[in-house]
Amino acid sequence: MFLSIIDKLREAVGMYPDKVAIIDNEDKYTYTSLWQEIVACNAYLIKKGLLPGDRVALLLDNSFEYITSYYGVLAVGGVVVALNTSSKSSDVINWLDNSGANILITESKYSDLYNEVIDSCKSLDVINLDLMHRHDELLVWSGSMGIHNADIYHSPEIFQETNAAIIYTSGTTGKPKGVTLSHGNFIANFTEVINYLELTKNDSIVNILPFYYSYGNSILHTHLMSGATIILENSFMYPAKTLSKIIDNNVTGFSGVPATYAILLNRVNLDDYDLGCLRYVTQAGGAMPQAHIHKLISKLPHVKLFIMYGQTEATARLTYLDPEKLIDKLGSVGKPLHGIDLQIRDENNNKLGSSETGEIYVSGPNIMNGYWNNQQLTNEVLIDNYIKTGDLGFIDEEGYVFLTGRRSDMIKVGGNRISPLEIEEVINQLDGIVEVAATGVDDEILGQVIKLTVVLNDKSTINEKEIKAFCRKKLALYKIPKYINFVEALPKTASGKIQRYLL
Amino acid sequence: MSVEKAIRQYVLENYLFTDDESELANNDSFLDKGILDSTGILEIINLIEDEFKVKVEDDEMVPENLDSVNNIVSYVERKQG
Repeated sequence: MFLSIIDKLREAVGMYPDKVAIIDNEDKYTYTSLWQEIVACNAYLIKKGLLPGDRVALLLDNSFEYITSYYGVLAVGGVVVALNTSSKSSDVINWLDNSGANILITESKYSDLYNEVIDSCKSLDVINLDLMHRHDELLVWSGSMGIHNADIYHSPEIFQETNAAIIYTSGTTGKPKGVTLSHGNFIANFTEVINYLELTKNDSIVNILPFYYSYGNSILHTHLMSGATIILENSFMYPAKTLSKIIDNNVTGFSGVPATYAILLNRVNLDDYDLGCLRYVTQAGGAMPQAHIHKLISKLPHVKLFIMYGQTEATARLTYLDPEKLIDKLGSVGKPLHGIDLQIRDENNNKLGSSETGEIYVSGPNIMNGYWNNQQLTNEVLIDNYIKTGDLGFIDEEGYVFLTGRRSDMIKVGGNRISPLEIEEVINQLDGIVEVAATGVDDEILGQVIKLTVVLNDKSTINEKEIKAFCRKKLALYKIPKYINFVEALPKTASGKIQRYLL
Repeated sequence: MSVEKAIRQYVLENYLFTDDESELANNDSFLDKGILDSTGILEIINLIEDEFKVKVEDDEMVPENLDSVNNIVSYVERKQG
């Protein structure tokens, strides 16, 4: 019998009822209290009329309430649409429209944002958790339902292919890309992650990654399925604070993107911290400079460093490098997870041999159902059950995968994937712009930052600061260009295509 | 230039991209208001160290010292003794 995400969580609750599942600031929640809140949320949403298959959007920081809402939706058989909280209203409107979510669970912190959204989404039912009426001193969902120790739960029928979540990977350009993942995708991928990280109930993690992205989402599910403890830390702005939390809570795991480790290695003296409790650290979200890998190993010689590669379209993870092979196979992202077929193909879709460079195609039980409500784009990317990743690379004679670049023009800033078209579309709304191109340029900390190359008309007096100020109004913080270059014309091919590599 | 003025000017110029002083309140949380991210705070630390000759120790990189103009002013004044 297929066990859904909720079934797996329920198993963990049964096995570790009194174990601490979540630490959110000063509050600690056991697996039992987590489950009771999920059941209360489930009851609340059913009372609201939510049906299996309905989409529910979350606009929440990482918190205990985020987690109970997420699993509460899944417990109804609903589909979670977790939104990037740093987005602007135009993105949120577009995602709500595309997903068809009629319920938005949010908090007062985002009231400016959701109030802008409400005007465009008249039928949207906003549940602001800070404004919920609560009975007694109960937690938010139990309190709103007035139920103590909720444990009556009628599980809906959930199959392997039943949709569980939609993760939007890009903003306003054209039709949004809502990666649609099933319960089967999650279970297959997270079972593998749990196996190679050897996660158990004895593990704990200080999580700094947003749950609305696949990397953070993977941490959430894998740790709760293992009976581990997640300590929430909503930002990495203060690395010393994060390290203190690791030490104070005797934490065994930590996950970051290359920028996380660049900050840790360059800004903090790791020698001053006793990180003997750490068993492993993971890195995904882009290539980490080899110098940083060496430095990290020398600073934390007792810690297993897992270099990983994945895509949202593949739920989260595609490959990992065995820490034992880290030096031997330096620069590799490791081997595919069990059950994943990873192929290198040329431009004519022919499979290439070892050490030949081409585009990476992957197939397996973790590959998405498609892009929500966007069949055309799904057909372009999902070919005969293989995902065309857009990443270039090769496989060596021993089966280790090496990435060499990207076929598409996507820019990756500190783990965030950004379409240049999305930035260009915003800039083109300004008066006086003839044409514009956004490209990624190397950055020591973030991997890449955005550079704009702009052509103005003769009358335009717009300057760099005005363009950035406009971007700040229209784009999330990480999408604001760092550099702006004004030129007479953009370099183009004979057919008129912008030659981005020359910018 | 006073610490308050220098920090305000830097944040307005480099993160809010405006000369409008009303865009930044001295008690605005850089984190909660989405004004800075983790690399932004590192740039602020560089500014504090370069302009005010204050060494920001690892354990001082906490929101109580750095998360608003007011917090930074108090922190720098405390350090300068």
